[in-house]
Amino acid sequence: MNMDDSEKVKRAPGSARSIVRVYGLAVASVAVAFGLASALAYFHIPQTFGAFALSAIAVTFWYAGTKPGILAALLSSVVRDFLFDPRTSAESRLLFDLVFLVFALLMTQVLRDRNQLQLRVAERTAQLTELNENLKREITKHNQVEAELRLSEAYLAEAQRLSQTGSWAWSPPPGDIRYWSEECFRVQGFDPKGGQPSFEDFLQSVHPDDQARILGVIENAVREREEFEFDYRIIHPSGEIRDARSIGHPIVDATGGLVEYVGTIIDVTDRKHAEKERERLREAQADLAHVSRMTAMGELTASLAHEVNQPITAAVNGASTCVRWLTREVPDLGEAREAALGVIRNAKRAADIINRIRSISKKGESKRQLADVNELIREMIALLRSEAKRYSISVRTELDAGLPKVMADSVQVQQVLMNLIMNGIDAMKDVDRDREITIHSQWADSRMLMISVSDTGMGIPPQQAERIFDAFFTTKSHGIGMGLRISRSIVESHGGRLWAAGNSPRGASFHFTLPAPVEVGA
Amino acid sequence: MSCNSENRLVAIVDDDDSVRGTLKELLRAAGFLSQTFESAEDFLGSGHRQDTACLITDIRMPGMSGLELQARLNAERCKIPTIFITAHGDEEMRFQALRAGAVEFLPKPFDDEVLIESVRAALER
Repeated sequence: MNMDDSEKVKRAPGSARSIVRVYGLAVASVAVAFGLASALAYFHIPQTFGAFALSAIAVTFWYAGTKPGILAALLSSVVRDFLFDPRTSAESRLLFDLVFLVFALLMTQVLRDRNQLQLRVAERTAQLTELNENLKREITKHNQVEAELRLSEAYLAEAQRLSQTGSWAWSPPPGDIRYWSEECFRVQGFDPKGGQPSFEDFLQSVHPDDQARILGVIENAVREREEFEFDYRIIHPSGEIRDARSIGHPIVDATGGLVEYVGTIIDVTDRKHAEKERERLREAQADLAHVSRMTAMGELTASLAHEVNQPITAAVNGASTCVRWLTREVPDLGEAREAALGVIRNAKRAADIINRIRSISKKGESKRQLADVNELIREMIALLRSEAKRYSISVRTELDAGLPKVMADSVQVQQVLMNLIMNGIDAMKDVDRDREITIHSQWADSRMLMISVSDTGMGIPPQQAERIFDAFFTTKSHGIGMGLRISRSIVESHGGRLWAAGNSPRGASFHFTLPAPVEVGA
Repeated sequence: MSCNSENRLVAIVDDDDSVRGTLKELLRAAGFLSQTFESAEDFLGSGHRQDTACLITDIRMPGMSGLELQARLNAERCKIPTIFITAHGDEEMRFQALRAGAVEFLPKPFDDEVLIESVRAALER
């Protein structure tokens, strides 16, 4: 019998075939022991049955279990007593029976131990299998995390490439660069195959004119454990000069010791070019706005002259009056003084008007400061009053006194107002009915102010409603057709909108919005 | 409607406050009594038409202009000696005013002697 059979026996202990097998093994093994001992006795080797029987009992116990083993022990006793050696003494028989019995008991114990051992081995195997499974799962998870990490790194590298922003980590002098992202290599013009660069390599790639400066900035920041930020130029191996900006942030440990700096390198070449382009565009727009303003002022020359002439006339009247009081037979100094004060007042008024004209005519950089839109409206009306009067147009205002100041370029906002009011005047020149311009200031919503200029003129034909904002569109015989276009760009550059609407029952309205300043504090 | 010429009042019509006020003061210093009006309509509605001996008026004003006021008075056979003061008077306007009977046409700012002489002449008519 071999191991396979015994395993089968163990696996199906209840079946009839297995019962035959296990007990058959007992019978067969004792039979073999008897056969072998008989054969040896034939060759005059006596007394071997005991040893063979014990082997048979052991084999039966081991392979077939306890009960077949006991059967083998009983059979061995019976065979020895009655078949093999029927002549021995009762004591001898008893001795052998005892030996078989003790052996059987011993084997029972051995078998139990074996079974327990098997059980423990099975348990241990199960544990090991589970451990193995866990390990496999861990490895799978680890691989997954690693793949995710790689993907995340790839995304980051892509983001760095798109934003032209590389990241680095550096232990300050005499430390090394600890981390240098792929994009850093590209921005700084290094070959990734050359490996992590040293700080010396970095400095060497910087434009010679910038080296001392940025070294100073870095040394100062490191000494003070502060952030640093500097712009510099890089000379690429190809000789191309790129503009860059680096920002570094210190990492400090619990005791305040400097661990390292982490930061970025940004390629700002394209941004700087765009900035310059924008600057040029802004200048061109400012020039155009100025030309447009001067054109409008040119149209107003006669009215502006009249506007200045009025206070000058009043001043001259006052001076004449003063002289008259002084040159009477008995000079009246009190009256003369009153008249002289009037001269001062009127001369100042003339100067104010000239200053207003000058400030709107001057060409300067766009200056944003807090401005009171109602005041801007009133000033503009003061300048345009004569022009309106010339065409018998009355100017009415509905100004919300509670409006906050706005962040704006006063001259530009006044240019928009001038443009809209003059358009309104133009629209009413040939109209035979009430000619009125109304200027309204109010809240458009919680964060925008709205200024509206309405006239009672001929209105805007619907088919031209959008074209009026086009460049060089004009319905006037004079003018360059840039007024509304420029006004719209001025308003939009302030973050507002400019649009036109029909008026009921007649005329047109132009509305523009300006953002209210964000409340600071409560 | 006709006008009574038995009066000494000088009427000043100008839409500009300061010009109007200083003109009144100037006339007062020269010894004339005057009354100011913001617009031609104001003057016409004031009831002072009858006792006005001399009218000093701006030409360009909101509403009725100085020339229209002159035409209106002429049409009503109310011949008040009129002096025009204007900041943008041209020759055509001047000619039109004088033809309609204006006694003087003065550009702003004007010489007080000329104005006072004209007023005096108007009052002595």
